Amino acid sequence: MKTTKSTDRRNFLLAAGLGGAGVAAAVVTGRKPASKPKEEAVAASKEAKYRESEHIRKYYETTKV
Amino acid sequence: MAAVAPVAMHRALAAEEAARADFYALLARLLGSAPDGALLQMIAHAGPLAGHSELALAWRTLVDASSAMDENAAGDEYQALFGGLGKSPVSIYAGHYSGAVAVGHPRIRVQRDLEALGLAHRSTTQPEDHIAALFDAMRVLAAGGAGRGPAKLEEQRRFFDAHVKPAAGKFFATLAGAKEANYYRRVAALGAAFLAIEVESFQLD
Repeated sequence: MKTTKSTDRRNFLLAAGLGGAGVAAAVVTGRKPASKPKEEAVAASKEAKYRESEHIRKYYETTKV
Repeated sequence: MAAVAPVAMHRALAAEEAARADFYALLARLLGSAPDGALLQMIAHAGPLAGHSELALAWRTLVDASSAMDENAAGDEYQALFGGLGKSPVSIYAGHYSGAVAVGHPRIRVQRDLEALGLAHRSTTQPEDHIAALFDAMRVLAAGGAGRGPAKLEEQRRFFDAHVKPAAGKFFATLAGAKEANYYRRVAALGAAFLAIEVESFQLD
């Protein structure tokens, strides 16, 4: 039941264009979209989980929640 | 069932959930202040989203617009849209759209819910119900950050339903229709497309 629902969610998000290439991630993190996303996802330590490019980071310095 | 790990504390974030956080981050950034030249360039050089969804179309339009925009024009437009005290054509505060009710100003309720989620709003210049602050909170809930891991979907949905959903749709519609909006019309289209996905996906889970 839960599995089916989260699968639906996942498929919906992927079909909507989220995931995959991580296009917005390239802007947010300042990385190229196709730079081995799989390895990074697997190795996601606290640090690697979310990285911010310089201007996004500057923004967060003023607007941290 | 048996194959599903019951608890995974540091499970890698699924690509589509990370992508949600990235869109929240980018929208928060664009709504928090005007893009500078570097950000415009990065968006301009970003690749397309797969498929032909509303989001993919809106993204491509924003990418194209970003290559034609310069930071001075973006700054002027941002000021014209959101600047000024109480007189701006487009309010960037959620409370304006969701309505300040007797129970407490939306700002106070956001603050209370952020605290319950282990997040403290640290900005002294942006009130809690600034749309950028709300999107940034969603970014942290989706991907983790600010000293906490990703929130459960249920928690994300609760915050979204209470604070983002009642205001963001109206906000993007107002922004899209503002006569001062040019570049930000594209931002509004992207935001609206993304928001629609969020609304629907939270109903699926």
